[in-house]
Amino acid sequence: MSAMIPETPAAPMSSAAGAEAAQPILRVRDLVTTFHTESGPVNAVRGVSFDLMPGETLAIVGESGSGKSVTALSILNMVRRPGSVESGSVEFEGRDLLTLGEKDLRVVRGGGIGMVFQDPVGSLNPLMRVRDQLTEAIRAHDPVSKAEAARRSVELMREVGIPDPEARLADYPLAFSGGMSQRVMIAMALANRPKLIIADEPTTALDVTIQAQILELLAKLNRENGTAVILITHNLGIVARVCQRVAVMYAGRIVEHGAVDTIFTAPQHPYTRDLLGATPSLDRPRSLPLVAIEGRPPSMRTPIVGCSYAPRDPRAFDRCWVDDPKLQTDAAGHSRACWLHTGADGVPPRELEATAELAEKPVSTEALLDVQDVRREYSTGRRTLFGRRTQTLRAVDGVSLTVNVGETIGLIGESGCGKSTLGRLILGIEPPTEGDIKYRDSSVVGLTGSRLRRYNRDVQLVFQNPMASLNPRMTVGRAIGEPLRLAGESRAAARKRVLELLDLVGMDAAVVDRFPHEFSGGQRQRIVIARALAVNPRLIVLDEAVAALDVSLQAQVINLLRELQERLKLSYLFIGHDLATVRHVSDRVMVMYLGEIVESGPAEAIAAEPLHPYTASLISSVPEPDPVRERTHERIVLSGEVPTPINPPAACRFHTRCPIGPMANPERSICATEKPPLIELAPGRHVACHFAGELSHVGVRQAEVPVGLGPVRQTRRVDAAR
Amino acid sequence: MTATPTTTALALAPARRARAGHSGLMRGFTTPSAIVGIVLIVIIFGAGLLAPLISPYSPTAQGPDAFLPPSGTHWLGTDEYGRDLLSRVIYGARQDLIVGVIAVPIGAVVGTLLGTIGVATKWLDVIIQRFFDVTLAFTGLVMGVTVAAIIGPGLAAVLITVSFVNVPLFGRLARNTVRSLRSRDYVTAARIVGAPPLRVLFRHVLPNALDSLIVQAALSFSLAVFIEGAMSFVGIGVRPPDPSLGSLLRTSITFLSRSPLYAVAPMVVVTALVLAFNLVGDGLNKGLLKR
Amino acid sequence: MFRYTLRRLPSAVVVLFVASVVIFFILRLAPGDPAAALAGPDASTATVQAIRHQLGLDQPLITQYLIWLRGILSGDLGNSYILHAPIAQLISESLMNTTELAIGALVFAIVGGGLIGYFQGIAKRRASQATLSALTSFGIAIPTYVTGVLLILLFAVGWRVLPAGGIGPGIRDFSLGWQYLLMPAIALSLPTGATIARFLSASMRQTLDQDFVQTGIAKGIRPSRLMIGHVVPNSLPPVLTVLGIQIGQLFGGAIIVETIFAWPGIGQLLLQAVTGRDYLLTQDLLLIAVLVFIVVQLITDIVDAAMDPRIRLERA
Repeated sequence: MSAMIPETPAAPMSSAAGAEAAQPILRVRDLVTTFHTESGPVNAVRGVSFDLMPGETLAIVGESGSGKSVTALSILNMVRRPGSVESGSVEFEGRDLLTLGEKDLRVVRGGGIGMVFQDPVGSLNPLMRVRDQLTEAIRAHDPVSKAEAARRSVELMREVGIPDPEARLADYPLAFSGGMSQRVMIAMALANRPKLIIADEPTTALDVTIQAQILELLAKLNRENGTAVILITHNLGIVARVCQRVAVMYAGRIVEHGAVDTIFTAPQHPYTRDLLGATPSLDRPRSLPLVAIEGRPPSMRTPIVGCSYAPRDPRAFDRCWVDDPKLQTDAAGHSRACWLHTGADGVPPRELEATAELAEKPVSTEALLDVQDVRREYSTGRRTLFGRRTQTLRAVDGVSLTVNVGETIGLIGESGCGKSTLGRLILGIEPPTEGDIKYRDSSVVGLTGSRLRRYNRDVQLVFQNPMASLNPRMTVGRAIGEPLRLAGESRAAARKRVLELLDLVGMDAAVVDRFPHEFSGGQRQRIVIARALAVNPRLIVLDEAVAALDVSLQAQVINLLRELQERLKLSYLFIGHDLATVRHVSDRVMVMYLGEIVESGPAEAIAAEPLHPYTASLISSVPEPDPVRERTHERIVLSGEVPTPINPPAACRFHTRCPIGPMANPERSICATEKPPLIELAPGRHVACHFAGELSHVGVRQAEVPVGLGPVRQTRRVDAAR
Repeated sequence: MTATPTTTALALAPARRARAGHSGLMRGFTTPSAIVGIVLIVIIFGAGLLAPLISPYSPTAQGPDAFLPPSGTHWLGTDEYGRDLLSRVIYGARQDLIVGVIAVPIGAVVGTLLGTIGVATKWLDVIIQRFFDVTLAFTGLVMGVTVAAIIGPGLAAVLITVSFVNVPLFGRLARNTVRSLRSRDYVTAARIVGAPPLRVLFRHVLPNALDSLIVQAALSFSLAVFIEGAMSFVGIGVRPPDPSLGSLLRTSITFLSRSPLYAVAPMVVVTALVLAFNLVGDGLNKGLLKR
Repeated sequence: MFRYTLRRLPSAVVVLFVASVVIFFILRLAPGDPAAALAGPDASTATVQAIRHQLGLDQPLITQYLIWLRGILSGDLGNSYILHAPIAQLISESLMNTTELAIGALVFAIVGGGLIGYFQGIAKRRASQATLSALTSFGIAIPTYVTGVLLILLFAVGWRVLPAGGIGPGIRDFSLGWQYLLMPAIALSLPTGATIARFLSASMRQTLDQDFVQTGIAKGIRPSRLMIGHVVPNSLPPVLTVLGIQIGQLFGGAIIVETIFAWPGIGQLLLQAVTGRDYLLTQDLLLIAVLVFIVVQLITDIVDAAMDPRIRLERA
């Protein structure tokens, strides 16, 4: 069953009345944690201080390397060798946890403070039944009988929303999906009614709709039990949905700490402002480029002189380079560590230029790629005696789409929907089981050898994982030059072109002799893009190309992609699972579910007015970096797991989870018996649903200028010579 | 100007010294255990290689005085036929050198080829896998006994045994490594940018597979020394009067009370040799893993 | 579990079958005629022919192979013509002796290797880790024939505390027999024990890095429970796999150890068969060697699957 919930996160248990009630349950002061590696010390946490009130939900936000996870582990003194907490204090219920011996610490761990980790599948012992892992957590703190512990486990499983708890308890973790495993983790953390739960990136590894379920669960536990929550995340949207207060971390320190509304509407630190500007959101005008913060975070191996953010902010002045700003709290309880003067709206914003061209991008009607009713099946399941497999997996089941010259088509869906498979089919890596793929009017299905290679000169692919897409033994120059040499260019000509390409993607010529492992994820992705551009393709398929990158790096790559599209008249097929990012980048969007397209149309229109209930659920699930909207807008939380494509539901594949389908309204049995065809409800808008448009009010109306960004200057872009 | 990072961004990146693509391997060779191993190998195999030049006597030249204690003319004394023990040990090491240098590469190449071919063709793969299974079932010395039963004992039996033993070792390793590498993204990327399959194999897959193959090579040398010693020890390897560390050890048992050195000398050398190759293999493994 | 076992059986049987064919036909490749060798250099052709007929060597190869197979399955293995005794009796006696040796070796290997591996796995100080690591490296490297001779040198020749060879009364009188068993069992156990130690410590260190260990710490459970309930079971699978391989290779080690210590086991018997060119005996013994290996592999697979539910459900 799915639920529609308008909700607000809990107010802290301590109300304004009574000063005695307003005692923090957690007091962290000057926490310093260092990793003593073989190549030198790494100062992961350089002095973190904050208070946590009973029942409060605090988010610790930062990108990779900011020290947020290490901070969480340090609180319970659980940092793994070679790391150790060097100094500081963590006061919990009157005692400093860092001075406690192992025995006393064990009482707190799992007792007073529970912890939930990022990877639910790896965090459970694969060889132990779930029941034993749960009862273990209970009996470690309360010497009850096994039977009593088992009874309590059933209760806990119910509380975290796992159906059929008795049966599930007897299972091994491998039988659990990601979302279910995370619920079990939460149940274990909850087992002894802790005052505080620390959740370290609890939803990063999960699909969007499942993520929404877990966040809902955490919010409910906070409301009903008054459990304080510290949520570690890099996703500002999640923060806006669940948390009351936010601490932003950068380079091992908290740079800003305050109420969620203030942080999002009037950020007081340049990094917070830039981070907000770099995050795509559903109501941000697509013509507004993302803020791509230059440079990289500083190395944590050497002491940092002055403000850690100074090198990346053009507004930094003399004092920033010399003096280290400390965290200072103002009268309203908001803290910041910055020398810049702030106005009522917070830190003065960067100047952003909306490029008018992007808003009115001329889109030709000349079709470049035409995918016609394509299917791809795999044989899977157990092998019978004769080597045949028993089950069929229909990864792609009847998909049609077109990409016109100069267009960006976005393809969005969760795991298992078949979007990556579709990308591989288009590239010719695998042949479709049925259907046709036409490039410039001639079929490319079944091409092999040199004809396939010629097709690949026009259509290229960028993968998700930049490290895996580059041969670790090849220099950057060789890797980019390889396609050129294969096309027959001479070494000199190839070298010249490699340098041109590097310049095109904004990298220094000196990198040609370096190896991939010397670069960050964002830089590697640029190298991959340069390589894809080497053969002058017309269409690039980007398969989750930015999903593995930090927000600021994502913004860099996305801006680069748009710039390249303009300059080189490229077309893109942008495959992703984050609706906000896909919408920002695409002209038209297609929504995929279990191998089928359920809705398609212009990006703006789909986000503003979704016609298919799945699209509406996706939009509703995507956490938006806008606390006001998050608190007030209608939430559609889908129940159940993302089904596998092996035995998809009959007729409309979405009907088992649909909030307006037969599960919610039993009289709508048509959804389970008759498959809804993909029909054009409005010009350019296709939907496959018997009750299309019912949930369209969930969509996002675009604001004039999203909150948190400064004034926007409209300019004309001069088209630089190629 | 849109917010596109400029090249100055790179200047802020921590500078890293450009390392050779084989950094993992190089690092492996310079670990302490690998260095110790290499030194030992150079000494022992070096002595074996230069045996005709540095050996004081001929290993088979009998002399008048049996069981002489160590002296200036006979550093390790003499054996029961008055032969110089030191010379026999040096030439024994030479045997191991010969066996290793000839048989291991043969087994390695054949095994790697079979394993790689198997990845390409499905039906051939099944046959080759079964072949490996059967070959592996004849473990070390049992294989040696089988070979000796057919062609008779001798150096040839040792060579054939060592080669055969290595085929499934390298074959399995090559097959598994190539299979896992084949699905790596950069291999797919190479195909997409237009590389023909052979180039993909040789430019992208094999060089990255080389690392684990080289570690296996070190361990295979160690195994070769062991097998040669074992076969000669039980009497189906190198035939007398040619010296072999294994047969020396065998004969020494009878004379343990008279000349313990007779046993100790080959013991030390053969153990050092096996240990040395193991150390190199370990060091390489560590160096490669650290990357 | 039962079904998993059933699925593994066919390939094992196939390998065994192919191995038997290989053994049979390859041995026939050897030069020389066993009948002539048996008859002696001065025998007449008629005598040789008679002997050939008696041994069944004049039948077509396929028939000989099938006769051999039938003999094995029915238990009638004929006679060894060099040792002049029924093969079945020879094999069962030596098999018993080798089993005694193998069990002794395994006990040492598992207990010793297990303990050292465990402590090496949890060792926190680099010094202790390095020492134990050096110990295991040495244990793996030193060849069985070196260990055996060294042991004799030390304990039989140097300090005369143990007998230098032979089996003595064996298991019939273990209070005396253990003296004879001690050195050969230790020699045979060393490489296996060192390998177990090494794999166990590596596996444990890898397991300790896993996320669920962190979860265990966060739950606040006692360290002993963490180790015994979580770390050790998850560390065992690779150790069991390698143990299986090692047991399968014990046969080769037994050949060496039995030679050094004059232990009348099946390894010694094989050597005698090969040097004496008794093909019938050689065939049977080689087949046993291969059979032991395959059976041990199968058992290892099954135990692995029994311990790890993922294997049961994944492997087709």
